[in-house]
Amino acid sequence: MKPFRAARSGELVARLEAAEAGILGLLLDQLEQLLTADLDDVGDDPVLGRLFPDGHRSDPELAADYRELTESSLRSAKADDLATVRASLPAEGGEVRLDADQAGAWLRTSNDLRLALGTRLGISEDTEPPEEVADETDQQLAVYYWLTAVQGSLVDALVASRSGRR
Amino acid sequence: MAGPLAPTRTPETTEEERGELDRPWVTIVWNDPVNLMTYVTFVLQDLFGYDEPTATALMLQVHHDGKAIVSSGPRERMEHDTSRLHAYGLWASYQRDS
Repeated sequence: MKPFRAARSGELVARLEAAEAGILGLLLDQLEQLLTADLDDVGDDPVLGRLFPDGHRSDPELAADYRELTESSLRSAKADDLATVRASLPAEGGEVRLDADQAGAWLRTSNDLRLALGTRLGISEDTEPPEEVADETDQQLAVYYWLTAVQGSLVDALVASRSGRR
Repeated sequence: MAGPLAPTRTPETTEEERGELDRPWVTIVWNDPVNLMTYVTFVLQDLFGYDEPTATALMLQVHHDGKAIVSSGPRERMEHDTSRLHAYGLWASYQRDS
């Protein structure tokens, strides 16, 4: 991967290897399945709990009101972001070039992917990137840290372009 | 001279109601191990218009103290702020200010 940077045009530009684009595509498919899952079927899935948190922590009635009020629009906003990312992802790898709206979708969706993966993996503030990839958990950790690098470079590029530093 | 539609009395506010009205609601961001510090700062600037030093100070408060109040006001607005933060994946909730 060549990390995101702000181009002179104001666009955010990165380059993905074919394998990276493939992995991101698969992750998007998995996130889409999560977002379209019937909540009655998945019960207390911790990943969905993190993607759709309680609005109020101590009053179940207010939390239920909040959910009723916001959940469907939150869900459709996430689905729209996901579709934007998918449409701007070169399936075979290559250059990714984003305008401001697309960059926002990439920011939020890469964060949702990190939240989902991080919750499944039980990431804590002490978790370290794997030194070698010996099993499936190491692989998923490596993907998590790769997503962190993608999202981190996008945040840095957006901050730099906003303050006029490129 | 008061017309027929003019209010005939000022509604009285009880002490209890006044207390409720004076205590605003707040939106809180909670610490979590996934969200990047740079991302949290960026989102707080973007959603609330905070300048960079203010957003950074709030982010550090979340990081070190486990939470920070990022906005306060009427309940409906705090619900709205919480949902905007949830759209960015920040771990937020709203409550009456304690």
